[in-house]
Amino acid sequence: MNLLVLLAAGVAGFAVARYCNALAGLVSVVFLGLGGMVAAASWFQMRLEDNERLEQLEFEELAKTHSGSALFEAKDAELFPVKRSREQFERFFIPVFTVVVCLIQAGGAYFLWRWLARPVLVTVVTQPSTALALFGLLALVLFLVGKFSATFARLEDHGLRRPGPVYILLCAYFCFGVALGGVGGEGGLARADLYIARGLCALLALVGLETLVNLVLEMYRPRVKGKVERPLYESRLVGLLGQPEGLITTAAQALDYQFGFKVSETWFYRFFERAISWLLLLQLGALVLSTGVVFIEAGEQGLLERFGNPVPGHTLLEAGAHFKWPWPIDKVYRYRTEQIQTFNVGLTPEAGKESERVVLWTRQHAGGTEDNFIVANRVAGGAEATNDMAGKRTPPVSLITGTIPVAFQITNLLSWAYTNSAAPNLLEDVATREIMRYFVSADMNEVMSYGRLEASETLARRIQAASDGYGLGARIVMVGLQDLHPPVKVAPDYEKVVGATQSKRAKILAAQADSIATNELAGAQAAAIVNRANAVKTETVVGALAKAALFTNQIPAFEAAPSVYVQRAYLRAFAEATPTARKYLLLATNVHDVIQFDLQDKIPYDLMNVTVPPAKK
Amino acid sequence: MNRNPLTLLVVAILLIVVFGSWLFSFQVRQSEVAVVTTFGKPTGFITNAGWHGRLPPPIQRVWKFDQRVQNFEDHLTEVLTSDSFNVLASVYVGWKISQPSDFYPKFAGTADPMLEAQRVLERLLNNVKSAVVGKHPLSDFVSPTDGGTNLLAIEHEILSSVKSQASANKYGIEVQFLGLKKLQLPEQVTKDVFDRMQSERKVLASKSQYEGEAEAQRIRSEADLKASQMLAKANSQAIQIRGAGEAEAAKSLTVFQQQPELAKFIFSLDALENALKDKTTLVFDRHTPPFDLLGGISTNLLSAPATTTQTPVSGGSATNLTRAQ
Repeated sequence: MNLLVLLAAGVAGFAVARYCNALAGLVSVVFLGLGGMVAAASWFQMRLEDNERLEQLEFEELAKTHSGSALFEAKDAELFPVKRSREQFERFFIPVFTVVVCLIQAGGAYFLWRWLARPVLVTVVTQPSTALALFGLLALVLFLVGKFSATFARLEDHGLRRPGPVYILLCAYFCFGVALGGVGGEGGLARADLYIARGLCALLALVGLETLVNLVLEMYRPRVKGKVERPLYESRLVGLLGQPEGLITTAAQALDYQFGFKVSETWFYRFFERAISWLLLLQLGALVLSTGVVFIEAGEQGLLERFGNPVPGHTLLEAGAHFKWPWPIDKVYRYRTEQIQTFNVGLTPEAGKESERVVLWTRQHAGGTEDNFIVANRVAGGAEATNDMAGKRTPPVSLITGTIPVAFQITNLLSWAYTNSAAPNLLEDVATREIMRYFVSADMNEVMSYGRLEASETLARRIQAASDGYGLGARIVMVGLQDLHPPVKVAPDYEKVVGATQSKRAKILAAQADSIATNELAGAQAAAIVNRANAVKTETVVGALAKAALFTNQIPAFEAAPSVYVQRAYLRAFAEATPTARKYLLLATNVHDVIQFDLQDKIPYDLMNVTVPPAKK
Repeated sequence: MNRNPLTLLVVAILLIVVFGSWLFSFQVRQSEVAVVTTFGKPTGFITNAGWHGRLPPPIQRVWKFDQRVQNFEDHLTEVLTSDSFNVLASVYVGWKISQPSDFYPKFAGTADPMLEAQRVLERLLNNVKSAVVGKHPLSDFVSPTDGGTNLLAIEHEILSSVKSQASANKYGIEVQFLGLKKLQLPEQVTKDVFDRMQSERKVLASKSQYEGEAEAQRIRSEADLKASQMLAKANSQAIQIRGAGEAEAAKSLTVFQQQPELAKFIFSLDALENALKDKTTLVFDRHTPPFDLLGGISTNLLSAPATTTQTPVSGGSATNLTRAQ
């Protein structure tokens, strides 16, 4: 019966889950299928055991009537074929079957998890009412059948009757969960069904892991003859979840074993057992009451809503403790209003590379993707000329790159929270738009150099105005243009222009230095020429005067002894003028000899001795 | 475990209260609008926040929508300007539900009505954006002089068109604002712009380089000119000074007129003395004083004055050859 119920519930559950798009329902169907497999295996094993019992009875009957016959001296295998079949079944089929179950559990968990993670998956229960009604009905049927079967199995105390009812009860709870998912969809928790489906997947993986561990332990388990063994494919985890009341019994047994006496029979344990429902209710009540106090952290503000309506006079909660009605009557939404928040326009940094210490034009910043902003081209004739030269028709624009941080603060929380559904995104959109609008009419060089501060202030004003226009309730604290630069590919050429400008300046300075040297030296040379002329003049004048004075004194001497004076003057001058001159004296006067003089200067010895190397061929 | 009837009663009452309030009432936030359907037919539109009652599902169901301004950015799409330049443009749009009665029947059947409405709006926007951008030249988007005012006009054009189409189709939504968020160039065009920017930079670099050289040359030539002028002036001044010196020295020449023969002799001696200062080779016969002493004859220059002849001698240097007559 268990097998038939599980199979029927599986088919019905699959149909309803498909119809209602209940993801948790589809995952539950896998459990129903597994339960069916387990129930089938246990049913077959039970049939073998029953046949074996009948065979044993028949054998004992025959043994009484035909005692001493040679028939009963044969081997066990020949006498008990059904027993042998059961042993073969347990030895070979059960382990293989358990491996198959384990593979289905693990593979099912893996593929279902991936299937649930697909972005295109529709995660909403399309027919929540139908899902609620039909899965609720299925849960009720399974629960009743499961309870009946479990009680029957407990009364018979037969281990092989246990797995089927346990799976039926577990699936009943799962169907109840699927129905709750449908209720969640009705109540606004659209993704409740998806979360339940994921939880069931995780549970399926756990059960698969448990089956694998059972398989490994089975190889080393000591076999005790006569002891009733738990079926290999039966999951303890499924058993605990299917019959949670067994948890308390298990806990009591564990306590008894640990303390060495019957803890479960003490007054405290009995009180605890009696009052557990009240204690749980008390816990739940405390949990609900704890939602009546809210602590707003420093730098935060809270929005208090009662039944979705801002509470007049207490809409904004400042930092500190506040009392409110418990959830879901009052709800508080927190916002960090004091904090200066920042977003970047123009760059999407790569994770882990935001803290680069050296920022260069020629290297991609923070390893991220930089946007190129269009700027109008103001180079006189530059664009057209270079485009024509290149034979291309490119737009007369330039591109500029930069990471522009925009810092803001929430100043009006009501506007921030209630006017726009995604105020931070809108503020970023507005800032990007204003920056783009500024650049398309800006001068690139101006923005990158002396006009940076003014541009930053203008942008902050414009973004603030646009933000106010959209009723965002934010204050723009700062727009940073410190990182504007030409795109990385073009940046080296910009640096070359800077280099060329410096080179130009260096050349001019060198020429100015040369000019100064030339002019100073020329001035000095001119002064020297003039001075020399003055010296010559003085020498000429003074010399002439001196010579005149000398001559005036020489006249009396000459007139006193004309020939002697002349001779003396001649000889004195001769002696003074020729001490270093080379002199040749021709003493013979009455001959007609021809005398040849070689008066050329002798060339220096070392120069004549230079050996000229032979010409290379 | 024995079940206490009181416990069961309390739990049952709690469950009834919780599930009853859940099934028979609902909350609408300040930021939401709710549509109540009875057996699928819209029967109530709730825009005021608070706690409201309803019949349990499946009799009545409640659909809540965010009534704040929703904003989204459309895809960065390539469009053509009227002067045939390709640009990439993206637009952000702010919209909100204005008529829940129109909005609900059009979008409630989808998995996410707000997202579906956004998709519809985006399709409409793409069409309008391409059409409006195609009517304007690139200079309307990028201009160094207009301060971005043309962009505002283009945004207004797109907004008006989208608004009118959304209104005509009775989507129940109102487009509140719109802005051009990104304006970029396609990859190939970006490469061409990079090439052009590089060419511009090269032009500027060459200009700077040769301007520097030209300026340096000019400065140097001006310095040379100034130096030449200074030297020429100095030489001129020097000549004048020397001339003045000569003129001043000439005043003393009258002294030499008292005994001209002696003056000539003295000047000759000075010249001879100066001429023999450098390397000189002299060839004398024995009549030349004072070498005539070697012949035992006394010297009388006044009665037999010496004559001097110069004979060029091979070897490049001039040699004075003096002979006594």
